[in-house]
Amino acid sequence: MRRFLASLRDGVGFDILLVGAAMVFLVAMAGLPLIYNVLMSFQQVDMFTLGSLIRPWAGFQNYIDVVREPAFWLVTKNTFIFVFFSMGGQFIIGFALALFFAQNFPGASTIRGLFLVSWVMPGLVVGAIWSWILAGDFGVLNTILKGLGIIQSNVFWKSDPAFSIWAVVIANIWLGLAFNMLLLSVGLAAIPRDLYEAAELDGANAFQRFWTITLPMMRSTIGAVLSLGLIGTLQQFDLFPAITEGGPANTSTVAQYWSWQMSFQLYDFAKGATISVMMLVLVLIASIIYVRSTRHEVRG
Amino acid sequence: MTAQIELKNIDKHYGAFHALKNVSLSIAKGSFVALVGPSGCGKSTLLRSIAGLETITSGDLHIAGKEMTGVPPRHRDIAMVFQSYALYPHMTVEENLTYSLRLHGVGKAEAKAKAAEVAATTGLSALLSRYPRQLSGGQRQRVAMGRAIIRNPKAFLFDEPLSNLDAALRVQMRKEIRALHDRLGATSVYVTHDQIEAMTMADWVVVMRDGIIEQQGRPLDLYDQPVNRFVAGFIGSPAMNFVDGVISEDGRGVVVGAGDRIPLARQAEPNRKVVAGVRPENLRVAEGAASFHFEVGNVESTGSATYLTSKDGALQLVQTERLGFSVGDRVGLDIDPALVHLFDPQSGARI
Repeated sequence: MRRFLASLRDGVGFDILLVGAAMVFLVAMAGLPLIYNVLMSFQQVDMFTLGSLIRPWAGFQNYIDVVREPAFWLVTKNTFIFVFFSMGGQFIIGFALALFFAQNFPGASTIRGLFLVSWVMPGLVVGAIWSWILAGDFGVLNTILKGLGIIQSNVFWKSDPAFSIWAVVIANIWLGLAFNMLLLSVGLAAIPRDLYEAAELDGANAFQRFWTITLPMMRSTIGAVLSLGLIGTLQQFDLFPAITEGGPANTSTVAQYWSWQMSFQLYDFAKGATISVMMLVLVLIASIIYVRSTRHEVRG
Repeated sequence: MTAQIELKNIDKHYGAFHALKNVSLSIAKGSFVALVGPSGCGKSTLLRSIAGLETITSGDLHIAGKEMTGVPPRHRDIAMVFQSYALYPHMTVEENLTYSLRLHGVGKAEAKAKAAEVAATTGLSALLSRYPRQLSGGQRQRVAMGRAIIRNPKAFLFDEPLSNLDAALRVQMRKEIRALHDRLGATSVYVTHDQIEAMTMADWVVVMRDGIIEQQGRPLDLYDQPVNRFVAGFIGSPAMNFVDGVISEDGRGVVVGAGDRIPLARQAEPNRKVVAGVRPENLRVAEGAASFHFEVGNVESTGSATYLTSKDGALQLVQTERLGFSVGDRVGLDIDPALVHLFDPQSGARI
């Protein structure tokens, strides 16, 4: 007993204690709900069995039901559009901004810091503001586009089925931009200056330096940004209730919003759980690709 | 000798800081020039200005007869070896070597052949498929040199390339760099804060301080005829001893203390205050009557030489024989009058 207490003070016991505390927290707050969620997707759940853990086994029936939902393929398409174009926009504009602020002009770091404002704002507030900007009849965006002569009549971003998902994509690009820019800025700052100087003397022009030095040196940062971007985009919820509420006619519903609707509006918890497990599998696959790609990470 | 690199009245300001002050320098084709000086003297700035990595505030730069003052680095056809080597960490040794060739559109097979050739001369043949992180310091150094050689540039610039290596390797690489320079018939500019490197490698040494060139010349000329106290103290190891004194009445010696005088080979202005400079290796322990004395404060023996330092730390003496002195001994010293340097106490200029 005394040896055990001694090891708690200055030995392996103390390490285990610290790790253990974190593990207990993780298992209780993330692990168990996750397992419960997966379990629920294989059970028949209704309002009367909501309180019990053991329910009638459903096998893959919930999955089959979800795929047979009339909205399934529309939601899948919307989710891919939302994820792909949000991430693409955030990444490309974020990278461009990071490169821009990496040039040492006066005030560069101050202005870069201001970009963080978008990151601090609650998603619902951002959504509400973009909802006004994108409003069909009084929105600022339409006024600007008309003023520039790009469109002739108002575009109903939020209520036109052809545009509704893009309205949320635009808002989400703005919301995630700062995060992308910041991580990429850190990656850029970590590339030694003399590599660029050596490349310059070796005869590389600005484009070649970007292609042969910046991009390969940023590989692990880009991997991290893209995988975090994927998770962040699949988590993005606030913008949907604030801008389109998934409408019109599900044309802007994505998987995470659909899952919430199933569980908490239609009280079909089994389907809600099933959709979120399907998303989990997607994220898992992406994570595995990311981990494998950083395994051969280059360290100077 | 034609000048390969010609600098005329170069000035460089960083905001209020005046880094290079009206520097003019002509570097002959095929020569090995060392820029040497204490840190902050502007030697690296001068080198980077030649490379184009720093813009010159005013002045003219010609490389191989062409005006290069505003030309971007990639059009100057100059290779540089960085202190950190600046190897591309995500490329193998072979890719590092052939990077510039690939940028210039040289075919794959030709680049590979060229890399093999350069690797053979730099001893890298077995390492071509390795990444820089898998190499030792000396091997990285060789890759950095190979990357410079492969392009056959108009000039090689070295920015303290040996400072990250251990002492033994440094001595070896010194010889290798010089041998490579001779074999290629290249023009090299070499920046170092280590005067031994400058003296042993270069055939022309440029001593800089505070953004100006204090003196330039052949290494031994700098050693024998330093123009001022700074150069005298900077060149030579251990550093030259400086002793305050007054020229004697007859003008043939420097009185440095009671009964002590350092002999002079020439007539000097009597009663003038001077600083006498004597190199530690030129002092001899007097056998008969000594011209001046010092009290031993510290004895260091390396086996091949004995270093004596005076009690007040002002004088140092190196002898190649083993001396049986111990701390506190009073030693009579002598010197060949022709080897005594005189400097003005105020300006530091050679008298």
